[in-house]
Amino acid sequence: MLLSVPNALRLSGRQVRNNEGSPIYKKNAFFHVRTPKVLLQKSLVALVLFFLGALVSYLLPFLVPVSGALGFLVHHPMLPIFVITGIFVVAHKPIERLIKKLLERYFFHKKTFAQMTLMDLAGELAVNLDMQEIANLVVNTFGEVLHLKTVALLVSDPLQNNFEVASAYGWTISASKKIRLAVDTPLLKMIHQTGPHILMRGPVLQSLSWQEANALASDLDSLQAGWVIPLFVKGELLGLIAFGALVPDTVFDQGDFHFFREFAAAIGPCLHNALVVKRLRQLNFELQDSQSQWVQKTKLNAIEKLAAGIAHEIHNPLAIISGKAQVLLMQKGPKQLELKVQDALNTIVKQTRRAADITRKLLLYSQGSRGPQEWVSLEKVLDETLSLIAYQASLDKIEITRNLDPDLPRYHANMQEIREIFLNLLLNAVEAVGSEGKIVVEMKYRREEELVEISCSDTGRGIPAEYLDKVFNPFYTTRHEAVGLGLFVTQQITHRYGGSIRVESQVGIGSMFILQLPCPTATAENREAEKVGASAPGSKIRK
Amino acid sequence: MTNKLLIVDDEAEICEFLKSFFEDRDFKVATAHDGAAALDQVERFKPEVVLLDIQMPGMDGLQTLKKMKETHPHVKVIMVTAVETQEKIEEAMRLGADNYITKPLSLEYLEKDVQDKIDLLAKGL
Repeated sequence: MLLSVPNALRLSGRQVRNNEGSPIYKKNAFFHVRTPKVLLQKSLVALVLFFLGALVSYLLPFLVPVSGALGFLVHHPMLPIFVITGIFVVAHKPIERLIKKLLERYFFHKKTFAQMTLMDLAGELAVNLDMQEIANLVVNTFGEVLHLKTVALLVSDPLQNNFEVASAYGWTISASKKIRLAVDTPLLKMIHQTGPHILMRGPVLQSLSWQEANALASDLDSLQAGWVIPLFVKGELLGLIAFGALVPDTVFDQGDFHFFREFAAAIGPCLHNALVVKRLRQLNFELQDSQSQWVQKTKLNAIEKLAAGIAHEIHNPLAIISGKAQVLLMQKGPKQLELKVQDALNTIVKQTRRAADITRKLLLYSQGSRGPQEWVSLEKVLDETLSLIAYQASLDKIEITRNLDPDLPRYHANMQEIREIFLNLLLNAVEAVGSEGKIVVEMKYRREEELVEISCSDTGRGIPAEYLDKVFNPFYTTRHEAVGLGLFVTQQITHRYGGSIRVESQVGIGSMFILQLPCPTATAENREAEKVGASAPGSKIRK
Repeated sequence: MTNKLLIVDDEAEICEFLKSFFEDRDFKVATAHDGAAALDQVERFKPEVVLLDIQMPGMDGLQTLKKMKETHPHVKVIMVTAVETQEKIEEAMRLGADNYITKPLSLEYLEKDVQDKIDLLAKGL
């Protein structure tokens, strides 16, 4: 398929000027005949026919009896002419077909192989519903079999109103993440004008005015593309395949373009189905998420009522038990108690306080946040929290590393709640490690996704897969003396800020809690700007 | 002069041990188990400090506090609560409560707080 035509054989500039090349070929038969492939094919057919005729003429006298009318014919001096003419009439078409087939297979074998491979791929993709897999297969196969330099498959993202790179071949990983084409970019506008035709860089740019060409060229440059195949399904542009050739002189002929369009028509529906499935999965995920949040909320309301009831009913008897013990403990003079009794009474007072703390804590968090919100420095809160547990961690020989994004913005939240998040994650990690191990706390500001990501990983014992979805349940704990509210409370606070928390764990290796808090860029950066402006007038505001 | 303390709680046991605790510390102590009795005792017993439970059947601690402060604005009231909800505490402080303390009680803290209130009264505050 890839024909690197020598410059001498390359057709005039006029041919290149035409989209898909077809109009010129139709208008000018001379160029059509002079296509190197056709020339070669026709010469080969003539050669084969000639040799076949000569061979038959030579062999005929040995095979046919000399007597009779046939004998006369066989020895006629014009015999080879007759034979060649006869063979030409009878065998020309089959031989031409055979030659063409052999040429396609052995001489232009890339083309047939490539076409077969790609059409096979399109057939296979018809039953594949995984967007990413389809994209990877398309770009890699396309790139490999056509020996291209770059191939990228962009698919439409109706939510963002743009096209993003689903998969790319020959690109750097970072490049593919960056490229997004908005629906109003020159390239997409152009595709909407030209429809399903394959877009060729050179001819298209030459047909445009200087400014338009410049704008379109920058789009094509960003995609590293010389050609773009639009993928239309039912008149809607679902995506595009943009590719660039390895050799600068690469030309594709009319047949190639015809094939590209066939291929586009074949994979278009696959892409469409995969996109629908992707969207459905997303919706399903959102539904499950909101359902689980609803369940959590309902659970929480029930807990709040229960906690309020329990707190009232239990704190009174606790007050009596603890009060009486304190009365005895605070007796002075001759009535003073034995040490053993004092010990016991102290324990009673301490344990009643602990029991009351459980219901109090539960009540506090089930009631939701009512504290004041302010611009909190996450780094400062983390450091304060780290200092709280540093002593215990050093005793247990646990090394805690903090890894913070220098661009971390301030976060609008209730300081106490953020502290609670850090404390719970860290205490959980310290407990999981036990002794001798590492804890890494990372905080990243993902500007594009508008969120702050906090992760806390440990080299602890890990959580078996069957318990992973239970760790956030209230009262779920593996420790004897723990209440099992830490991670539950962390999750509640995270949800309250519209964030999410998840855990990844491997038994024997460790666990990682990943918490994402939404942090709208505009708000955070305005705030940053205010802060910078206020603290250092005249200083440059960081963009 | 012995200081007078009124303890208001629907739990008789709580009233009882608090009474014995403060009597040991030379207080004159009266008790009441509901809001109406408390208001009556404030009238007759004229305590300097009242320990007032928030959750009581009938007239609750907040209503009692309101009426008490209307008739006897100088009496010092320490609210006692089993469940400290922010709203109730704010409401109590707004109605003129002088402090609040949560159950289970720390007697050491309570004793100090009651003494503080008496000292304040002595200074005429």
